[in-house]
Amino acid sequence: MLRRSVTLLVLLALVTLAVPVMAQETEPTIPAAPCVAPGELTLWLWDENWAEVIGDSVELWKTEYCPDAEVTIEVNPWGQYWDLLKTAAASGDLPDIFTMSQPNAFFYIDNNALMDLEPYFEAAGIDSNLWGSGSVGPYRGADGTGLYSAPVEWVTVAVYYNKDMMDAAGLEYPTADWTWDDFAEYAAALTDEEAGVYGAEVYMEYQSGFPNWIAMTGVSPLIEADRSRCTLQDAGSIEALQFLKGLADAGYMPPPSIVGSTSPDDAFNLFKSGQLAMMSVGAWKLPQAFEELEFNWDVVTFPKNPTTGRSRSTLHAVGYSAGANAENPDLVANLIQFLVSDEGQRFFAEAGGVAPGNPNPELQQMWIDSFGDTNVNIQAFIDAIQDSQGITDFDEIDSVNNELVLNIFDLGMSVEEATAKACEVIDAYIASMSE
Amino acid sequence: MIRREAQAEPSYKALSWFQVGGLIVVLGAGALIMVLPFLWMFSSACKPPAEINKLPVTWLPQEVACQTNLDDLYDQSPRFSEYMVNTAIMTVGRLVGQFITCSLAAYGFARFKFPGRNLLFAASLGLLMVPFQAIMIPEYLLMRAISWTNTFFALIVPGSFSAFAMFLLRQSFMQIPREIEEAAEIDGANPLKILWYVVLPLSGPALAAFAVITVQAAWNDFLWPLVTASQNPRVVTIGIALLQGERKTPWNIIMMGSLLATLPMIILFILLQRYFIEGISMSGLKG
Amino acid sequence: MASGGTPVPLLYLTNPYVMSTLLNFFGHTPLSRRKAFWGLALVAPNLLGLFFFFGVPVIIAFATSLNEWNVLAPPVFTGLDNFGRMLGDNLFWRALGNTVKLALGVIPAEVILALGVALILNQQLPARGIFRTAYFLPVVTSSVAASVVWTWIFQPRYGLLGSLLQPFGLRDTAWLTRPELVLIPVGVVTVWQRLGFDMVLFLAGLQAIPRELYEAATIDGAGRWQRLRYVTLPLLSPTTFLVLTLLVISVFQIFDQVYIMTARTVRGGVDGSALTLPVFLYEEAFTRNRFGYASAVALGLFLIILFLTALQLWGQRLWVYYESEAPEVKA
Repeated sequence: MLRRSVTLLVLLALVTLAVPVMAQETEPTIPAAPCVAPGELTLWLWDENWAEVIGDSVELWKTEYCPDAEVTIEVNPWGQYWDLLKTAAASGDLPDIFTMSQPNAFFYIDNNALMDLEPYFEAAGIDSNLWGSGSVGPYRGADGTGLYSAPVEWVTVAVYYNKDMMDAAGLEYPTADWTWDDFAEYAAALTDEEAGVYGAEVYMEYQSGFPNWIAMTGVSPLIEADRSRCTLQDAGSIEALQFLKGLADAGYMPPPSIVGSTSPDDAFNLFKSGQLAMMSVGAWKLPQAFEELEFNWDVVTFPKNPTTGRSRSTLHAVGYSAGANAENPDLVANLIQFLVSDEGQRFFAEAGGVAPGNPNPELQQMWIDSFGDTNVNIQAFIDAIQDSQGITDFDEIDSVNNELVLNIFDLGMSVEEATAKACEVIDAYIASMSE
Repeated sequence: MIRREAQAEPSYKALSWFQVGGLIVVLGAGALIMVLPFLWMFSSACKPPAEINKLPVTWLPQEVACQTNLDDLYDQSPRFSEYMVNTAIMTVGRLVGQFITCSLAAYGFARFKFPGRNLLFAASLGLLMVPFQAIMIPEYLLMRAISWTNTFFALIVPGSFSAFAMFLLRQSFMQIPREIEEAAEIDGANPLKILWYVVLPLSGPALAAFAVITVQAAWNDFLWPLVTASQNPRVVTIGIALLQGERKTPWNIIMMGSLLATLPMIILFILLQRYFIEGISMSGLKG
Repeated sequence: MASGGTPVPLLYLTNPYVMSTLLNFFGHTPLSRRKAFWGLALVAPNLLGLFFFFGVPVIIAFATSLNEWNVLAPPVFTGLDNFGRMLGDNLFWRALGNTVKLALGVIPAEVILALGVALILNQQLPARGIFRTAYFLPVVTSSVAASVVWTWIFQPRYGLLGSLLQPFGLRDTAWLTRPELVLIPVGVVTVWQRLGFDMVLFLAGLQAIPRELYEAATIDGAGRWQRLRYVTLPLLSPTTFLVLTLLVISVFQIFDQVYIMTARTVRGGVDGSALTLPVFLYEEAFTRNRFGYASAVALGLFLIILFLTALQLWGQRLWVYYESEAPEVKA
């Protein structure tokens, strides 16, 4: 009980910090509204589980706000989702509503293919800044105006660790004020080369891995937030990557080839089978962790950078977007408004997956509660929002991130050389975009 | 019915037991490599999630979880059986379609002279040389233009035409002695009758080969159904792709799904392999 | 054109000379004309279907190659720019180079293994059916499932290969990430998947060789190797030719193996070390949104395959032995 109220308090404090506008509001953060004229809509998703939960929300919208509307939910495999979206776009018609991811959004926004939701939200009295810039920054136009996607969810990243292994090594569980140096000590102490056990895996890919460490040095990871240049060669980026490479060279972190990939899924498999003591990954792994881990585990925010004193996490939000030439824009905007409203996000909060994008503290608490009675510090993910950092990345050149990781952690390239190579690609792409 | 005698294998020199033993060992080792991925798929389909990436590698599941994984598969993909049925319908539809169009065309190319014959034949073979990835979008636009997206028409009709099957059958038809058909022609039978009553019955093994190749291609087809009918009727390859999420890759369940999807193909081959091997032999491939 | 009058081309048809020229086009005698019409009628359904469902998309794709098109903005006509860009694109040449390397590795290995297995399975051996099935199984598996399984096999340390190579200190070899190694798994999977198919073609070819020739050769005192060298291989050459032709087409179209086996790290390998032309064009289109350029690459790939196939057709007379062109040997 006490824990809950503390959680709630911290949460309130945090929301107050992050979104001052909301503090005194008692009304719903985001209201829903009845539709003007019903019609037929198509909604594209890439996740079967989401289809169920969002399907429930859509049903509620149909009964409460828009009787006689028809919504067809179509799920496409994640691996081919973006290819299919482009195939659909080739015919001139995007689906009415579809889930969008930040690195993919720029291409559509720059080509004026998405509907600007801002005017509709303004008309409904919703200030889109309530989502915070990490969530919606990448969904605005290059000049920072407009809103081309409304958050379904938000995700921060934290460190998952195996408590049993810490006990066996005689270590105390890490706390929120641990530092990079502590982290290195933990990683060293938890590594058992002979048994094939590694202390940590935290470099990974663009969301769960090294960009978090770069953010902690105060640098905007990968690309400047205004999309102007590659930041991987900045001193902070080099510092972060050198630190991680040091851990890998010392044998505390497995190379990506041994993990199987740069994906947190594969690192999680190692973690699960007790060959990895600590790993960084987003909150989306919580359900699987609760279901599959057969040892005691917990979560802690990233260790603090010794120079800046900051523990930071990347923040990523999947959103709902709509095609710029949707046949029925009012209805589309109405359904999106409902889906991100307090009422519409309830199902999402209760489903025990990722946190709902709507920052309403009640919904966030609902999400924490959805995991039931647990000792796991889910709060760490919410704490991480406080000093979080949106990632600027373009799907078109996303492979440079993985290539960077492979070059440094598998192929023995120096950090300087690998980042120079990556920046060459990124800067060339940025230059080609402004043409 | 006229049936040609299958060539007996050369028995000009019997092998010694020692040689047979040696060959069996070599073949067996090779066969093991060939089937290893299957065994691995089998064993992974029955492993609990915790065992999938164990070190050292477990060849056999320590804890057999076939049933659990099967339940999980149907839990995640309740319509999996329906997808299998859709795949079966698509496969049978294409098989029947190709049987009709390709046997007619193969016969036409094998036995009739008409202007542009070589050019038309070469052009249709040229289609085999265009990678499908290059025509995905035009195909989608075409299916959309005729409102066939998400219908069985899209799954079956375009797949009912084939340059490869036509080529295969033509090679077989060309090996049938002309005299047999000429006798029927003198009796006044039209080409359709000759094809049906004379040529096809002589091509049983080639047709079996055609059947296995066509069925396996249709059964495993992924990109075409994905582009033209990703929702409904949904085929099993798409069902399997859907098991892999953005942030979760349940290998044991994916392998269980792949196993279920592959089993009918394996059974089919075991049933047809004798015909199939003779069929390729009949289609001759001699110039 | 005069309104209400008969359209000019139709008038021509009433002219007997034009009419007969047209008919002669189909054949000079009533019988050959009848045959020509039947032939056209028989091939029409398949060819029309192929044209409509595949020919038209191919034409659209090739028309796309003359444009710059990202699917969202209207296409911009750029003439042959995409082809110029292709010739100056390092990644294109790398993909082509990889394909050539794969071809040089895969084709000989495939032919030798498939022929070897076929020669063995052509003997009277116990359990031949089981072996045939085992060797053919990979052909009927979905290449997606197969690639996933092979990815595991090649995964260092936890993979099967790693544990087999442990005694040699190669447990942790990063087959799928090291640029100098990644083509090996791609090639192995390609051979593995196709072996059964080509084995069956060779088996069929072997079964078609008349036994009498072997008997005659044996009487003349030829040993096992001599029979293989002077009887089997020459008589099998039409099959070998067919296997090679199909193999070249399929090696140049390698896609699934690369796409799936490198999907979890860098698609197409670090520095494009595992890129093949189909993977390259797919990435250009769907990742980098250059659909016009991708179509140009597809056309380039098509021409390369066409050239190689034509080359093989031309070269076959140097080494392929056709029984029908030789003096009658059958008893």
